[in-house]
Amino acid sequence: MGITELLWRFPSAQMAWRNLGRNRIRTALASLGIVIGVISIASLGITGVAIQQQATSDLGSLTNEVTITSGEDSTTAGVTADQVDEVRNVAGNVDVVPQYSDATTISSRNGQEENVSVIALTQANVLYDVSAGESPERLQSGVLLTDSTANQLGIEIGDPIEYNGQMYRVRGLIESDQGFGGGGRGQLVVPESALSDRDNYDSVTIVTEDGDAATEIAAILRDHFNEETHNGEVDEELSITDYSDVQENINSFMNTLRLALLGIGSISLVVASVAILNVMLMSTIERRGEIGVLRAVGIRRGEVLRMILIEAAFLGAIGGLAGVLISIVIGLALFQVLAGDAVIVFEWESARYLVYGFLFAIGASVVSGLYPAWKAANDRPVEALRG
Amino acid sequence: MSVIALNDVVKRYQTGHETVEALKDVDFRAERGEMVTITGPSGSGKSTLLNMIGLLDTPTEGHIRLDGRDVTDFTEDELTEERRSEIGFVFQDFHLLPMLTATENVELPTMWDTSVDRHDRAVDLLHRVGLGDRLDHRPDQLSGGQRQRVAIARALINEPDILLADEPTGNLDQDTGRTILEELTRLKEDENIAIVSVTHDEQMVGYADRVVQLIDGEIQ
Ligand SMILES: Nc1ncnc2c1ncn2[C@@H]1O[C@H](COP(=O)(O)OP(=O)(O)O)[C@@H](O)[C@H]1O
Ligand SMILES: [Mg+2]
Repeated sequence: MGITELLWRFPSAQMAWRNLGRNRIRTALASLGIVIGVISIASLGITGVAIQQQATSDLGSLTNEVTITSGEDSTTAGVTADQVDEVRNVAGNVDVVPQYSDATTISSRNGQEENVSVIALTQANVLYDVSAGESPERLQSGVLLTDSTANQLGIEIGDPIEYNGQMYRVRGLIESDQGFGGGGRGQLVVPESALSDRDNYDSVTIVTEDGDAATEIAAILRDHFNEETHNGEVDEELSITDYSDVQENINSFMNTLRLALLGIGSISLVVASVAILNVMLMSTIERRGEIGVLRAVGIRRGEVLRMILIEAAFLGAIGGLAGVLISIVIGLALFQVLAGDAVIVFEWESARYLVYGFLFAIGASVVSGLYPAWKAANDRPVEALRG
Repeated sequence: MSVIALNDVVKRYQTGHETVEALKDVDFRAERGEMVTITGPSGSGKSTLLNMIGLLDTPTEGHIRLDGRDVTDFTEDELTEERRSEIGFVFQDFHLLPMLTATENVELPTMWDTSVDRHDRAVDLLHRVGLGDRLDHRPDQLSGGQRQRVAIARALINEPDILLADEPTGNLDQDTGRTILEELTRLKEDENIAIVSVTHDEQMVGYADRVVQLIDGEIQ
């Protein structure tokens, strides 16, 4: 027995281990509660992480963008070329992409039709990543089309598409899952010239380094364009939207969700520790005479106390270990399904819930063992031996 | 000097409204190398007296001296230390731990003293009580007489001055009881210890150097 030899120098631990071995079924049942508790804590925590990662990746690149449209109090429809220049000046060294929007129907050679939204702009590469073909820095001729739409209609790179009475060749296929917009209908990205007969741009997109920069620039632009009037109202010339609020909302929602999941997990561990309390109490009452003998032959109260506490800790450790192993399997499956990458479970962000679960298991078990241990250690040996 | 001495010891138990006087003004002493046997009818206070001698219980009145030291007012922890170093116990129903081997059971009282290794003494004691071939057997693999020998070896592991036995032959047949008594007599001389035993057993009285008769909590 390897463990027994290892424990030889730690008599309390050695005795505790032997005691657990005496009634394996009871030991297993007591640990089972802890196993379930740990699985609840760990896998619920990990689920929270997985959902959050999923949500954040769905939000995608949008968080570093600022979108500008005509404001409520604007005297013009859309965003004027002058306003775009002013935005460029104020925003500084970032990509500012003005665009027109429209909608159209594209048909395939065999007569199948798809409704798409149309965006007319020049700096295509700033906003669109392609899965095939190219996304030009200056889109002068040709178009980009969402790849899923192209697939549906059997359109390939180089095929012609008619829009507004003109023929364009497809130069690139846009990755379909980009940001919120990707989920709905497809997009057709055309050169600015296709809609330049319009007076004003429909919107302007600013792409910045990251979410913080986007928030900052949005604030500067709001200050600049939307002055407060003397009666305290804001004169909204341009409507300026950034996504930091959305991100923040998602984060706070996720935190709430995670706390709720952890709460549920903790409740199951509390239930588990009541089970351990019960088992430890039963087994110390059963062994009352035995513990009386220990005390009679000179084993100190502290030594008896330690022995029983370690017994409880072992129960927690056994259950905790089993729970962690099972949770890893659950986590691997979860991340495989949600993120397509099972080993994310070993990253600290989610792995820490395994650690929390394990520590909580041992902690809860030791706390549950306190009363039985104290009771057994302070039982007077005469009384214990009388039975 | 007596290894253990009780002077004018009174023990009262309070149960509900009733007070039972289990021991009334008891004087008792035992010397090294002597086997004292306490007899008396059931309920006469034999176990109570033995618990006083073994420092498991404290008297309501009177004094207890261990090797001349007054231990009457010792705390539970101090008494535990005295039991650990000076006293050995043998019980009627053996009280061995079922998950430990014979050797481990013998080592049990000194198990928490990691500074001294009593393994060799445990093996030696088991040989001396005739269990040299049962060292790694567990209690359920031993007969009643063998278990009581393990218990005797356990009581001696800490080289005590006093060995206390409460009806040590009570659960054994005549022949086995006799061998146990012979064992105790031999060990008493080898180890030069005081043995105080409680018994109903006429046979056991025959092995005693001195018999103390207890009736209604009083020594006759
Ligand atoms: N813990 C106790 N509480 C109350 N009464 C007790 C207790 N221990 C012993 N007694 C009483 O003290 C008397 C002596 O008991 P005991 O020493 O066990 O007798 P014996 O061992 O001679 O049979 C009995 O009347 C018994 O009921
Ligand atoms: Mg008795």
